[in-house]
Amino acid sequence: MQRALWSGFLRSSETFADRPALFAESKFLKYSELRREACRVAATIQAHVDPAETTLTAVFAYRTPTAFIGVLGSLLAGNGYVPLNRTFPIERTQVMLERSRSRSIVVDEGSLPQLNKLLETASAPLLVLTPDALDFTSYKEQWPQHTFLAGHELEPAETWREPTLEVDSIAYLLFTSGSTGIPKGVAVAQRNVTVFLDYMVERYEITESDRLSQMFDMTFDLSVFDMFVAWERGACVFCPSQKTLIKPGKFIKDSELTIWFSVPSTAVFMKQLGMLKPAQYPSLRLSLFCGEPLPISSATAWLEAAPNSTLENLYGPTELTIACTLYRWDPVRSLAESELGIVPIGYPYPNMRVLVVDDNLLEVSPGQEGELLMNGPQTSLGYWNDPAKTAAAFIVPPGKNEIYYRTGDRVRRPRGDAPLTHLGRIDSQVKIFGHRVELGEVESKVRDSCGFDGVVAVGWPRTESGFGGVEVFIEGPESALEKLRSAVAKDLPEYMVPRRFHFMDRLPRNANNKYDRKAMQKLLEEGL
Amino acid sequence: MNAVTPDAVQDFLREYVAKYLRGQGREVPADLSDDCDLLLSGYVDSLGLLELMTAIQDHFGSEIDFDQLDAEQMTIVGPLRRFIADQLNKR
Repeated sequence: MQRALWSGFLRSSETFADRPALFAESKFLKYSELRREACRVAATIQAHVDPAETTLTAVFAYRTPTAFIGVLGSLLAGNGYVPLNRTFPIERTQVMLERSRSRSIVVDEGSLPQLNKLLETASAPLLVLTPDALDFTSYKEQWPQHTFLAGHELEPAETWREPTLEVDSIAYLLFTSGSTGIPKGVAVAQRNVTVFLDYMVERYEITESDRLSQMFDMTFDLSVFDMFVAWERGACVFCPSQKTLIKPGKFIKDSELTIWFSVPSTAVFMKQLGMLKPAQYPSLRLSLFCGEPLPISSATAWLEAAPNSTLENLYGPTELTIACTLYRWDPVRSLAESELGIVPIGYPYPNMRVLVVDDNLLEVSPGQEGELLMNGPQTSLGYWNDPAKTAAAFIVPPGKNEIYYRTGDRVRRPRGDAPLTHLGRIDSQVKIFGHRVELGEVESKVRDSCGFDGVVAVGWPRTESGFGGVEVFIEGPESALEKLRSAVAKDLPEYMVPRRFHFMDRLPRNANNKYDRKAMQKLLEEGL
Repeated sequence: MNAVTPDAVQDFLREYVAKYLRGQGREVPADLSDDCDLLLSGYVDSLGLLELMTAIQDHFGSEIDFDQLDAEQMTIVGPLRRFIADQLNKR
């Protein structure tokens, strides 16, 4: 039977009422406390907002108890949550709130300074809840069309009523950066998330004594793993403050974490900053990475620092609900199974199906490369109020009867039992004077030759048929350029040899901290 | 080896932040005051700060033990540049 995303939390709040569910802003919140506060938020939304008007509640809170209370409160009110992030440009937050058509919003104290600006573009009346704030008088005067309720004005927890779950009840709406620059909202159903959670808590044997990191902001869907995997089994999620995030090693030790989950970049920097010394993090029993390619060098350095840990590389676009393939690092087998110096993305989750296709959406033969398409119970509802974009990405391939999501990722179709290997993005394949060039291949060669992990190749300059060549951006100090150029030229055909190398202290990244190839092309357009 | 002055670190920080903001198409501040908090001002995010620290190490050619500096202070220009200069000159 279908179950609600909140059901695991409610169960744990009864079984483990006095155990900590959350550590945030230097304090613990017990399951019973978190449940009471979330029920107050939920009851207040239920009392003030007609469910026919909207199925979403925005949560404008950053790494505070209120952020987690807001997430649970939205769900317990029968709504999906829309995470907003005060570290994003306010214009982006305005667009996200408006596009979501939320009618209620939970705001923490730290996000209040942006509230007036956010309300400037709000077109419909909003219920604004601020559990942290005591006095809303000035807002009430300035914005008579909206309803403001401070902490003491929320409904008592006892008045909360468990909502009914619909088949497509939304868990959350997350915005990903669209290629056009306008954020696209991905609507993920509760049934998508619960099937993911069921597999994760079983596979990782989560118990109430686990202590999970919360490195991801809530605007990144990998944060859903941290919260809900912990709460399914009565474990505690540790949310570092924005400032603690810059001391990840200290955070692991102080919190005695048992489960780590971050983007590979964090491991890359920790290695460079000398934070991955042997056996530094004995408390970790599980280390997970997701969100971008995981270099082998980072994985092995991490395992030396966390010798009691199993390491897994996860892969998954937001559209397929958090993660949908995984690979367990094996010191004996994995080197041979990796390609381009990158850890494989492995095998699909149970019930998820893989299809590797060519340009005509026809399956390629084993061993060949193509675009990764996936289908199964984690296939999300699509793009929010955007049937055209949804139809373009969620397709029925020729000869199939089911909807597959086009990931835009290039993989090799495995032979036999081999894992899936990630080769780059479809859009990272460019034509240079008619040659098909996989930019990931150029990047891999440069990475090997210069020793820096942050390497991005872009097609440049543009020509009518594609590009005239390749230029490479390297994150690191300018170093022996001629040596690098000749080392790379030794292995690559001439048209693939980078015409120029650009060393930068920091490569441009998008809101989710992934390298932003388009921004680099823009730098070239502007005459870098 | 010449001593690294806090001002030399300041120049590096200013240049780094300027490059970073330009890469994002954002406005570059004329100067970084000593009380400027790089994180809270939105000049860099937390991952960006880890990158900044690796860039500092690479630039000045020495491993710095940032654990010695309090996390609250680490993102503020004044304490950060004095700390780095101190650490570098110890070697």
